[in-house]
Amino acid sequence: MIEKKFRNVIISIVVIVCLAMLTLVVVDMANRSRAQIPDLGLSPEMNLVERSGSAFGKSNMLGKISVVNFFFTSCKGPCPRMNGRVAEMYHKFSTSDKVQFVSISVDPARDSLTILKQYAENFGVNDNRWLFLRGEIDEVQRINELGFKLGGELPSLHSTKLILVDPAGKIRGYYDSNDDESLRLLTTHVKELLRDLHDS
Amino acid sequence: MFRKFALISTLATYILIFIGGLVRVAGAGLGCPDWPKCFGRWIPPLDVSQIPAGVNAAGFNFTLAWIEYLNRLAGVIVGLLILTTAILALKNFRDKKIIFYPAILAAFFVAIQGWYGSVVVSSQLNPIAVSVHMFLALIIVGLLIYVTQHAYYLESKQTQEKKADFDKTKNWIYVLLAVILIQIITGTQLRSQIEILSEKFPLLFEMEILSRVGVINYLHTIIGLAVTILTIFVVYNLFLKKENLNSFMRLNLILIINMIFVQLAVGVGMEVFGIPPVLQVFHMWIASLFFGVVLMLYIEIKTYRIEND
Repeated sequence: MIEKKFRNVIISIVVIVCLAMLTLVVVDMANRSRAQIPDLGLSPEMNLVERSGSAFGKSNMLGKISVVNFFFTSCKGPCPRMNGRVAEMYHKFSTSDKVQFVSISVDPARDSLTILKQYAENFGVNDNRWLFLRGEIDEVQRINELGFKLGGELPSLHSTKLILVDPAGKIRGYYDSNDDESLRLLTTHVKELLRDLHDS
Repeated sequence: MFRKFALISTLATYILIFIGGLVRVAGAGLGCPDWPKCFGRWIPPLDVSQIPAGVNAAGFNFTLAWIEYLNRLAGVIVGLLILTTAILALKNFRDKKIIFYPAILAAFFVAIQGWYGSVVVSSQLNPIAVSVHMFLALIIVGLLIYVTQHAYYLESKQTQEKKADFDKTKNWIYVLLAVILIQIITGTQLRSQIEILSEKFPLLFEMEILSRVGVINYLHTIIGLAVTILTIFVVYNLFLKKENLNSFMRLNLILIINMIFVQLAVGVGMEVFGIPPVLQVFHMWIASLFFGVVLMLYIEIKTYRIEND
C-alpha cells in the first residue's frame, strides 16, 4: 500500500516535471520564431529636412528602431488611413524613445515645413518620436525607389507600406498598412527589436 | 468498458486544458488566423510558399501555426473520445438517467466548444471569448467527472450504506465549489486586464502591468485566501469524522489539501516573478484540477457511500 502511494507520488512528480519542461520548450520555440525577422539589406542614405528645420540623415536612424512611410499632406484617401494606423502605433509605443516613426513627404513642392508642422499637430504629435520629413523631389524619388525599392509614380501612386528599419540601419520588413495581420506582425517585430536593443 | 472510456475522456480533457493554456502562454492562439483550416489548408503550410493564393500570408509563422494546429488536433481527438462516451451511454445506459443525460450533455457542450473555437479565433482572442472557452471546458470536465464517478458506482459492488452526518459539510463543499468558480472568473478577468494593458502598452514588463491592474488583482488575492480558508475548514470538518471516510474520500482530501497550497505558492510566485509562462499554465491547470477534485468529493459525499471492508 505504502509502496503504491510512493509510486503514485513519483509518477505525479515525473508528469509535472515533463509538463513544465514541455511548456518551457514550446514557449521558447514560440519566442524564437517571433524573433526571426528577415534582413533585407541596408537602408539608403538620406538628405532630408525635418518639420522643425533640422537636417535628417541616415545617422538619425542609427541606434533607434524606425518605422518609415511615404505620404503627402494633401492626399485624401489612403494617406490619412495609413497615418491613422501609424498614429495608433505612435501612441502604443509612447513609453519608449527608442522607437521613432519617420514619414517622408513625396510632394515637397506643396508640403512646406509649416504645412508638415500643421499636419503633425493634426495627428496629435507633440514630440520627436514621429518625424515628418521633406527634401528635393529627386532625393525623395531616389530614397523611395532605389533605397526602399518601392515603385509607383510620385506623388499620387506612392506605396502605403510601412518599412521597418533596425538600429543598425538595416531594412527588416515591409508591412501593409491596410492589413491588421500585417500591422500586428509589425508590432511584434518592433517589440522583438526593442528587446534585442535592451539586451545588447 | 464504459467507465474506462469515461475515465480516459476525463483525463484527456484535462490534458487538453493544459495544452490550451500552453498555446495561450506561447502566444500561438492566432497561429492559424482562420478556422477550421489553417491559412486555407487542412494541413498547415510548412512554408509561406504553400499558402494558397488569395489567403493573407502576412502573419505566417511556421512554429506558431503548428502549435495552434496541434492544439486543434488534440481537441478533435478529445471531442471524438467524448462523443464515443456519449454513444456508449446511449447504447447501454438509456435507463440510467444519472449517467445518460450528463454524458449526452457533455457531447453537446463539446460540439459547442468546437464551434466556439472559431469564435475565439475570429474575435482575435478577445479576452471574454477566451474566458468563455475556459468555462465551457470546466463544464465539460465537470460533466465527465460526474459520469465517470457514477459509472464506477454502478459497476462496483453494492456497498452497505451507513449514514454518517456529512450534511453540513456537504453544503460547505457546495459553497466551496461556487467560490472556486467565482475565483476562476476573477482569474480569467485578471488575465484579461493584463492582456488589455499589454496590448495598449507593449513595452511594459509584466511586473509593471500587474501593478497597474488594480482592483481585480486584489479581489483575486482576497478570494484566493477565502478559498484557502474554506478548504481548510472543509478538510478539517471531514477529518474530525475520519473513521467514516472511505479511501476515495481520503484520497480526495489529500489531493485537495496539497493542491490548495501548491496553487497558493504558484499564485504568489506569479506576483513575485512577474508571471512566468510556466507558472501561468500551471496556475490555470491546478485551478481546473482543484475544481474537479472538490467536485469528486462532493459527488462522493452526496452518494453517502461507506466501504464495508
